[in-house]
Amino acid sequence: MIVVVGLSHRTAPIAVREKLVLDAEGLPDFLRALVQRPEVGEALLVSTCNRVELVAAGRAGFDSDLNLVAKACIEALSANAPDIAPHLYAHVGGAAVRHLFRVAASLDSMVLGEPQILGQVKEAYELARATGTVGSVLHRTVPRAIRAAKRVRTETAIGSGQVSVPSVAVDLTRQIFGDLSGRVALLVGSGEMAEAVARLLKVAGASILVVGRTLSKAEELANAVGGTARPWTALSQSIVDADVVVTSTSAPHHVVDYEMVSAARKARKGRNQFFIDLAVPRDVEPRIEELDGEFLYNIDDLSKVVSETLSSRSREAASAEAIVGREAEGYDRWADAEQATPTIVALRARLSAALDEELNRSFRGKLKHLSSDDRAAVSKMLESSVNRILHQPTVRLRQAALERSSDTLSLEQLSSAISELFSFDAESEATSSPDNGAEPSDAEASGTGSDEGSIPPRARVVASRR
Amino acid sequence: MVDIATIAFYLGVIAYSAAATLFFLDLARRDGGNVRAQWAPRLLAIGGVLHAVHVVTASMLSRVCPIDSLHFALSFTALISVAAYLALRERLRLFALGAFIAPIALTFLVGAQFVGHGSDAVQGVSRTLLMFHIAANVGGVGLFLIAGASGSVYLVQERRLRTKKRVAHLGSRLPPLDALDTTSHRLLLAGFPLMTFGVVTGAVFSHQMTSGGSAVLLRSLLGYATWLLLAGVLVLRNTAGFRGRKAAYGTIAGVVCMLLVMLLYAVRGSAGGSL
Repeated sequence: MIVVVGLSHRTAPIAVREKLVLDAEGLPDFLRALVQRPEVGEALLVSTCNRVELVAAGRAGFDSDLNLVAKACIEALSANAPDIAPHLYAHVGGAAVRHLFRVAASLDSMVLGEPQILGQVKEAYELARATGTVGSVLHRTVPRAIRAAKRVRTETAIGSGQVSVPSVAVDLTRQIFGDLSGRVALLVGSGEMAEAVARLLKVAGASILVVGRTLSKAEELANAVGGTARPWTALSQSIVDADVVVTSTSAPHHVVDYEMVSAARKARKGRNQFFIDLAVPRDVEPRIEELDGEFLYNIDDLSKVVSETLSSRSREAASAEAIVGREAEGYDRWADAEQATPTIVALRARLSAALDEELNRSFRGKLKHLSSDDRAAVSKMLESSVNRILHQPTVRLRQAALERSSDTLSLEQLSSAISELFSFDAESEATSSPDNGAEPSDAEASGTGSDEGSIPPRARVVASRR
Repeated sequence: MVDIATIAFYLGVIAYSAAATLFFLDLARRDGGNVRAQWAPRLLAIGGVLHAVHVVTASMLSRVCPIDSLHFALSFTALISVAAYLALRERLRLFALGAFIAPIALTFLVGAQFVGHGSDAVQGVSRTLLMFHIAANVGGVGLFLIAGASGSVYLVQERRLRTKKRVAHLGSRLPPLDALDTTSHRLLLAGFPLMTFGVVTGAVFSHQMTSGGSAVLLRSLLGYATWLLLAGVLVLRNTAGFRGRKAAYGTIAGVVCMLLVMLLYAVRGSAGGSL
């Protein structure tokens, strides 16, 4: 099981969050130093502008008290910034797994359904893998979180639509023109939001014209967004040339009026034109909407689309939570079943070792005359026999781990009996077995793996939140 | 051979039905239904192949050239629409248009079964010219059907953007306005010469025929009206910037006239009449 320790936009203002920013170069050293602590066996760090979270697993021997692992993580995070400590939270065991799944699925994000967080979790996982601070526990847990997040994105509409005014404006532009390569966008006036829209249009392939009352300011803005400046007197001609017109002036009256657009429409031979009016008071005369092929969205219209998208995402959040819940339950069941793994691995190792010893003795004695093919056949036969013998005990042990019924023998009782009968310590033998703690396959690492595999025995599940 | 034609027909109907359903569900979906979006065009393509198999095998059975019979011509028209749509959908981002094309193909495939079979050749008319006449009309109708569908979707998308309702929800699923307008224009341009040839040869046939009555007259008038409407859309687009909504209305009006002509043919075909 894991712990998640960190802070986010929910617990800390930006003034606190910025104290915990770790630069990319220093991150591997930070993680290496963390896993050298006696309590922490594995660690990765998810760092975004809205959260910094350490996801860690205990070193063998500390699995039984994940609170100590959490404490070590808190110490590591607050070492250079002691005043962040009151803002830190710690999730432990099942609560930590659920939290990680929700984070990856963007259910804990400031903007619900934003797509970046999944990529950031993947990057954090890859960086920790490359650094060598990910072991069998995180190898099994993080890909499952990624898988749950992918399910949420494909099975719900939590990520649909745009949630900022500039991105909605560009989305609408695409709904009218499709590919924006070769299109001309005109920026009338300045303003942060207008500049953001212009930048997005530029990235989408449009060429940018900037018209301002002061040519020097227009040139400055044009340089900033990669466009061309024109004097204010060229406004009418620029409207003829532009497919998209973004206005954001501080003029108290309409800068673009009906007659201007009507004349431009004739010159443009009726080609569609999109006006994005970000100014208050409005720059574009609303009457232009009456003209065929002229579309006008003002700041209220765009904000309405944003709020529609956000409320739609909120409605989808319930379905997303249900998916995350099911995935987390699946993880719990799998983790429960895996508690039987040390006993099964140890039992198999004990039987295989005994049979190998006897077989080698026979190959040196009475069966010395066998060819290498025959020896391989005999070995294969014995291996199959071990599998058949162990099949029923394996099934029974996993059932016991899952059922926890008072009517039947518990996993602890069965494990204890087997250990007693075969005279071994399941924990130590399983840990030394090469079958345990292997790296996951590519499919598992990418979040598409099956439920097969093994993790260390489940620790005491406690959940705490500051 | 009978079995192949019949099996291909029924499987084609199933494939078109499934494609139409998936296209519709994809259009109305609330989640990211990638599977539907992938399978709808595939099923439409499978339906098209089965449709072609049906047309070829059935025409071989009845020893009729596929474009020499109203029955097959109707079916062939739908096939051309499907092929043109599949060829254009990726390039012009016409993904949602499948919700219109698949039902049209299904309707024409099934509807053709209720129209008179066999050759519709008439006495006193050049058989070669008749075949060219039908081929040109079939090609033109197939292209105009998609142009009409594009025009219809244009009106839906344009209205939605104007009223500013459900912009966030449905927006990205419908093709961009400019793509729809361009598609409609290009298909009109491609289909217009074919239709012009069909109208001219049709006029020659009308002149050669000794009888016909009011149905032939009405059909001719509707044919000319279609030609005039679509010619008007093309001319006005170049001269007076007649684009977007107006062009869509003009195209739809032309396509409706064209469908009425086909309906009259179908009624006459069912009644076993002559050209």
